[in-house]
Amino acid sequence: MADIPDTLVLRRHRDLQGKRNEAWLRRGLLVTIAAVPLLALFNVFGQRPHVETARADAASLELYAPAHLRGGLLWEARLTVRARRDLKDAVLELDRGWMEGMSINTIEPSPVGEGSHDGKLVLDLGHVPAGQKYSLYMQFQVNPTNVGRRGQAVRLYDGKHLLATIHRRVTVFP
Amino acid sequence: MDLAIRAVVLFTFVYLLTRIIGRRELSSLEPFDLILLIVIGDAIQQGLTQDDYSVTGAVIVVGTFAVLQVFVSFLSYRFSFLRTVLDGDPIVIVQDGKPIERNLKRERLTLEEIMVEARQQQVASLDQIAWGVLETTGKISIIPKD
Repeated sequence: MADIPDTLVLRRHRDLQGKRNEAWLRRGLLVTIAAVPLLALFNVFGQRPHVETARADAASLELYAPAHLRGGLLWEARLTVRARRDLKDAVLELDRGWMEGMSINTIEPSPVGEGSHDGKLVLDLGHVPAGQKYSLYMQFQVNPTNVGRRGQAVRLYDGKHLLATIHRRVTVFP
Repeated sequence: MDLAIRAVVLFTFVYLLTRIIGRRELSSLEPFDLILLIVIGDAIQQGLTQDDYSVTGAVIVVGTFAVLQVFVSFLSYRFSFLRTVLDGDPIVIVQDGKPIERNLKRERLTLEEIMVEARQQQVASLDQIAWGVLETTGKISIIPKD
């Protein structure tokens, strides 16, 4: 048999003594890494939108938006108000989580008025006649440093009278 | 600060990835591997700097990578038990003209691949090989018989 090359130890480098579990560790880590794109297919990391609805006698409020986002993503939230009776002054109140660390690219159609109530954004939609539907499109981009979970509740008022609330939280992944 | 954190996370991820993918896959730069390497680099860059186009941002990221690389290299040099974890060990795949099947299977290596490396090192047949070693770099060293 030829001389063993310097620094090679047969027990360690040929027989791989003490390394029986290393291959399984490697396979385990590979499976863990493969699980990430698999989870992504199931919308764990966003940004597939889904519908949330709150109903009241006077009107219903529907939100179509993703609940999971990632830094830098462009995303849309569509708020739909369906009036069952005349809403003289439909008002939407959005939690701070909607604006904090988000760039607002556009809000269409432009609300009649905007304001702040107790630190929340207030959008005045104006008159929504009975049987009519009002859709508000909001386009955002996630600030890359905006990581974590934030409250994004939405409330629908008729004037000062609260009609419906959608409670939700958004998760932003880095 | 988030730039440095992202750099540390991605450095660790890429390091882990290179350790678990297998050394042989990384050493053979076929045209597809080369394209894949560029695509991976591009994907990592986007996750790293995102919308930051500043020189400061680039300095933070490159600086973090450099420090981590030196740190890993220092750990590998200073602590032998960590060297095995960080760099791996060479593996004997041929001894005295006989392939060690168990080790070939473990590294997903074929006899043909060994012979390609052998021919490149002016060794024509398996019988002429005294030692074949898969190095930590993914290269195969062929030591011919006297």
